[in-house]
Amino acid sequence: MSRPTHGLRDWLLQRLTAVYLACFLIYLMAHFYNQPHHDYRQWHDWITHPAMTVASAVFILAVLIHGWVGMRDVVLDYVHTLSLRLMVLSLIALLLTGSGLWALQILLLAAA
Amino acid sequence: MANQRSAPVYRNLLRIRFPVGAVTSIAHRVSGVLMFASLPLLIYLLDISLQDSAGFDRAVEYLQTGWLRAVSVIVAWSLFHHLLSGIRFLLIDVGHGLSLPHARRSAWLVNIAALVMTLAWLWWML
Repeated sequence: MSRPTHGLRDWLLQRLTAVYLACFLIYLMAHFYNQPHHDYRQWHDWITHPAMTVASAVFILAVLIHGWVGMRDVVLDYVHTLSLRLMVLSLIALLLTGSGLWALQILLLAAA
Repeated sequence: MANQRSAPVYRNLLRIRFPVGAVTSIAHRVSGVLMFASLPLLIYLLDISLQDSAGFDRAVEYLQTGWLRAVSVIVAWSLFHHLLSGIRFLLIDVGHGLSLPHARRSAWLVNIAALVMTLAWLWWML
């Protein structure tokens, strides 16, 4: 914990990922607004369109970065005991990494 | 010297006055944590929905059960509020709406619009 932190880098990463996440989510909402009902075929074909697969993979990566910086900031503000802080941060890192790998696997298996 | 250190610390929530900007700010955090907590469930639903058409039907069925409907309303509010307040924070970062009246007005707008969008989601879902 004594290594220098990268406040400015993280501040910038949080905002860059935020812009991407916002654009992707607005696209998602527009899509579902235009086409509220999907059957399996439409749903599958939409997600596995190459452009959508790439955009979704970048989305997953952006969620991981954005979620990590955000959750870490919250933990640093509210959890002050060092051992507990390390435990909670490790748990968050584990959950985010696991979620990211799982989501990427789903995406790639569907596209395969 | 001692006095310099004794800034008031209010741990009693009833004694803290929350201006609207503080409500928007804390809601941004709460909604972020809620979405983080919902990740495994959302990915699970994505997983079964893409497996085959039976899995897709199962995911749709799950989403119509009572408790998942309740969860989806909470996640929808979190998403709408986090998105809107996030856009507000980005605009403030680049110098838009910095004055107190403007900041207060945009904070109200974000809080109310997120609730309206959540109601729209609820209406669409039922």
